[in-house]
Amino acid sequence: MRPLDPRLLRRARAARRYVLLTAGLGAATAGLVVAQALLLAAALAPVVTGVSRWPDVAPTVGLLALVIGARVLVTAVQERYAHRAATRTIAELRAQVVGHAVGLGPRWISGNGPTVATLATRGLDALEPYFVRYLPQLLLAVTVTPAALAVVLGLDWVAAVTIAVTIPLVPVFMVLVGLLTQGHASRRLEVMQRLGHQVLDLVAGLPTLRALGRERGPADRVRALGEAHRSATMGTLRIAFLSGMVLELLTTLSVALVAVGVGFRLVYGHLDLTTALAVLVLAPEVYLPLRQVGAHFHASADGVAAAQQTFDVLEQPLPVRGTISAPDLRSSTVRVRDLGVDAPDRDALAPAGLDLDLLPGTVTALVGPNGAGKSTALGVLLGLIPLGDRDTGTVQVLPAGDALDTPAIDLADVDPGTWWEQIAWVPQRPVLTPGTIEDLVTAGRRTDRRELGRVAELTGLAEVVAALPLGWGTAVGQGGAGLSLGQRQRVALSRALLGDAQLVVLDEPSAHLGSDGDATVRQVIEAAREGGRTVLVVTHRASLRQAADAVVAVAGRPRTSTTGPPHDGGAW
Amino acid sequence: MTGRQDPLWRAVLLLGVSWRRVVLAVLAGAGGLGSAVALAAVSAWLIARASQMPPVMELSIAAVAVRTFGISRGLLRYVERLVSHDVALRGMATLREQIYRRLAVGRTEPVMALRRGDLLARVGADVDAVGDVVVRGLLPAAVAAVVSLGSVVLLGVFLPTAGLALAGCLVLAGVVAPWWSVRAARTTERLTAHARVEMSAVTLALLDGAGELTVQGRTPDLRRELARVEADLARATDTGARPAALAAAAGPLATGLAVLAALALAVPATTQGLLTPVELAVVVLTPLAAFEAVSLMPAAGVQVLRSRQAARRIMSLLDEVAQEPTATQPAPMPPAAPGRGLVVRGLACGWPGQEPLLTGLDLDLSTGRTVAVVGPSGAGKTTLLLTLAGLLPAVGGTLTLDGDPPADLPREVAASRVAMTAEDAHVFDTTILENLRVGRGDVTPDEALDALTSVGLGRWLAGLPQGLGTVLGADAARISGGERRRLLLARALLCPAPLLLVDEPTEHLDTGGEAVLRSLLDRTLTPDRGVLVVTHRLAGLEGADEVILLDRTGTVRARGRHSELVARDHDGVAPYRDAWLAEVQES
Repeated sequence: MRPLDPRLLRRARAARRYVLLTAGLGAATAGLVVAQALLLAAALAPVVTGVSRWPDVAPTVGLLALVIGARVLVTAVQERYAHRAATRTIAELRAQVVGHAVGLGPRWISGNGPTVATLATRGLDALEPYFVRYLPQLLLAVTVTPAALAVVLGLDWVAAVTIAVTIPLVPVFMVLVGLLTQGHASRRLEVMQRLGHQVLDLVAGLPTLRALGRERGPADRVRALGEAHRSATMGTLRIAFLSGMVLELLTTLSVALVAVGVGFRLVYGHLDLTTALAVLVLAPEVYLPLRQVGAHFHASADGVAAAQQTFDVLEQPLPVRGTISAPDLRSSTVRVRDLGVDAPDRDALAPAGLDLDLLPGTVTALVGPNGAGKSTALGVLLGLIPLGDRDTGTVQVLPAGDALDTPAIDLADVDPGTWWEQIAWVPQRPVLTPGTIEDLVTAGRRTDRRELGRVAELTGLAEVVAALPLGWGTAVGQGGAGLSLGQRQRVALSRALLGDAQLVVLDEPSAHLGSDGDATVRQVIEAAREGGRTVLVVTHRASLRQAADAVVAVAGRPRTSTTGPPHDGGAW
Repeated sequence: MTGRQDPLWRAVLLLGVSWRRVVLAVLAGAGGLGSAVALAAVSAWLIARASQMPPVMELSIAAVAVRTFGISRGLLRYVERLVSHDVALRGMATLREQIYRRLAVGRTEPVMALRRGDLLARVGADVDAVGDVVVRGLLPAAVAAVVSLGSVVLLGVFLPTAGLALAGCLVLAGVVAPWWSVRAARTTERLTAHARVEMSAVTLALLDGAGELTVQGRTPDLRRELARVEADLARATDTGARPAALAAAAGPLATGLAVLAALALAVPATTQGLLTPVELAVVVLTPLAAFEAVSLMPAAGVQVLRSRQAARRIMSLLDEVAQEPTATQPAPMPPAAPGRGLVVRGLACGWPGQEPLLTGLDLDLSTGRTVAVVGPSGAGKTTLLLTLAGLLPAVGGTLTLDGDPPADLPREVAASRVAMTAEDAHVFDTTILENLRVGRGDVTPDEALDALTSVGLGRWLAGLPQGLGTVLGADAARISGGERRRLLLARALLCPAPLLLVDEPTEHLDTGGEAVLRSLLDRTLTPDRGVLVVTHRLAGLEGADEVILLDRTGTVRARGRHSELVARDHDGVAPYRDAWLAEVQES
């Protein structure tokens, strides 16, 4: 783990500015720390030796007050901008990681979605302690520590050598302790987590235990597990705290050694009191940033790990997009041949060997059991799932005219923007974006009220809207009213019908619509057919199958291993 | 104990901490940080005295003391950290046990109504937060108080005014600064709470709907929305950062003021002969080290704030569970139709304080009888089971179990007569045998084997190298959904209760599952039991004595034997036959 990842500075503008500011403030702090020590010694020493009285040292004390005032100001500015930089950096990284994930497409998200969602909504917040606590101390460690050490060297080289010898010992001992205890600690950690988990497992099962009237017995087990968890944790902590103790022991002891050394050199007259006092005040300041870095190291580790994960996502290459403008789907046919898509978690192709022709103005139904790959096939047709090395087959668009002389275009070469303009897709779980129901349905287009009413009647949305006090003006999405899955599907169906996209893709449209769902979807399909649109519908329902001009069965197939026979006959 | 009391204090009392250990931790902590103060004071004395060039012997004790304090600081801090963590961990174990015991005996609805994740958060993260307040809040505060008092007394002995000045500065750093810190944290939290919820919602919408939004060209809209929410979040954080900056600056300000005050007071005092030159060095330099303990106070204040929120959630759950159910209880049930088994007339059920999900249900369940309740999701089937099992009070109508309302019976009595298996019943992270023993404590391996075989898991079990000793893993991660359902069914069969209530036994089951359901309902599995099954599918219900079809609104649409219902045409409406035909066509 690097303390300051250069990628963080490259990716986040706010972080760059903040590191510059903090470095500047760190340099200022270094100057102020040294000035404070020298002024304090200069004010104190002549009074101790009896040379000066209050009026003589009062101006020095005045200067000291100014230096202290400046330090207070620097601290306030640092804290003020640390929070600001943290929030802005987190926002920048969040926007980038979410944007990149969307660009990588639904197939990638389905494999990494939960991780990315946790990272974006919660994980990145761990950067706040990193920015507010750790980073300033890290920069103080490279400004104040060397500056104070250099001044001590100028004042009394013996003390400087004492300090210079112990500073490298700090990381050496911490690494040594870390290495010696690592294996032990990770073993302990495992036991600790397991015991902690078992307690939670019993509590999670409490409703079940109560339903069976067996809730009393495990209370003692909860106690015993808690006790075991405590003793395992303490075993880990006894070792984990060792490195902190080594750090404190080394730094405090060397300050003590410096003080004693300086004291004895004073007795023999090798030093004057002003120098000795300055060294005494500066010695702890050399170590302070190092100790703080150590103290905030753990709090910042999560933030650094989150940033790391973010960069890992951002470094995934985006799929290459085609550039050919999509042919007009009102006259073009979409042809799928031998489509097979890898399902890595099952070591299978789903779908496998799919052939399909979408002729303009026809209705095609995709049918097949769960897991056969119907939705995946839709994803490929929509251009959301690019075909890779482990996939098979082709998806082509055949422009109008004689199929012999107009060349077929591979979907991968088509500019997705021009492809999507011609498609209206109703997924299984439509997403609500913020806005009113009317905005969602019309998608911002100017729409005739009568047309809107007619479509809403058809999809059953009219009934939903009528039951809402604000009707079409009801705000939904973030901060607005929630709609049930079925209601969301009605919104999406209405939007698909109201738009002018040629290809209408419906994925299990009646799944959440209740008892009249099939009838509703049939009406929608008929309306689309009358409008000359091409419809592709994934369905389980026999009644919808009957409404289609063509029914295509989708099936998955396990990958055949080289040694074993094919799993089932299939196309082979 | 009144509800008005500070929830954090109530939760801390539940930790049952040993005061002997607390005193030990405070002593060790004060010794550690006190060593730092003593190190500063003795080194100041050493150097000031050394400048007067006394015989070296006179300095040797001070030199030894300085080195000793240099070592004791690290050692005592180590001891303090260990003891304070031990105190907290003991407390957390006790609090978890307390929560478990109270949830186990208290009212059932709050536990049943809590989502699994929320329940785990109460017992997991929230208890941790209450434990943290000991380590990061209360003990550091006690240590800071002791060390500060010691420093003030030390200075006061030499020069009372300097002691007073130091006390004032310590209050600024240890009381005023934390107060600002807590204010900053509270402001930020209050102002950002709404924006945070929106930020998560927009982020999740972008990720979940990535495909749809891309195809419809709506991604830019949502990314703009995310930027808008982030701007709100940033504004709110900026507002909170102002008091945070004040709090952070208060630390160096207090230290600086203490040194300046010591100089301004002690230098004239030395000139006047009230203070020796060596004492002057001690009075001026000691304050530099005296602020380390109070510098932890702002963080401690914020910890108290966070822990109090966690404690409030824990205590409100415990209060809810301990509450007498008088407020939610409907009018006393008429003692109608007492009899053997469950007798239900005009029953309405639902969650307390909400509209009933299911109304007007009549039902009889006694040993030797099997009933299936069918309906779409949302018809209140699970709520019905909870009510029948006595885990939820009935909202209306009458319900008796062997003559008494089951919710009024002691839990052990009700559970010994009627056992319920919920759809999301928990599979514990232990062996298969122990999981079956959740149903009945003395299940023998042979009985377990029989039960598993009867639900069709015999071959599965035979394929497991560890057999009944196989550990199932967290959340039954190592078994499939179908195996999990069958295992739960086997557990239900092993329960001693004569009446069994089973929720969705065939969900996630392959074709063989239908056979299991059939044998459950035609009594081959349970010859002398009463069985009630709720399901959303009609397949496999042929053997039930009665099938009750619910519609989405929780009203009975049809009832009778499967064969009659499929044949019957009632005024041209045949909801059961329609549903049956639709399901047959599906497969």
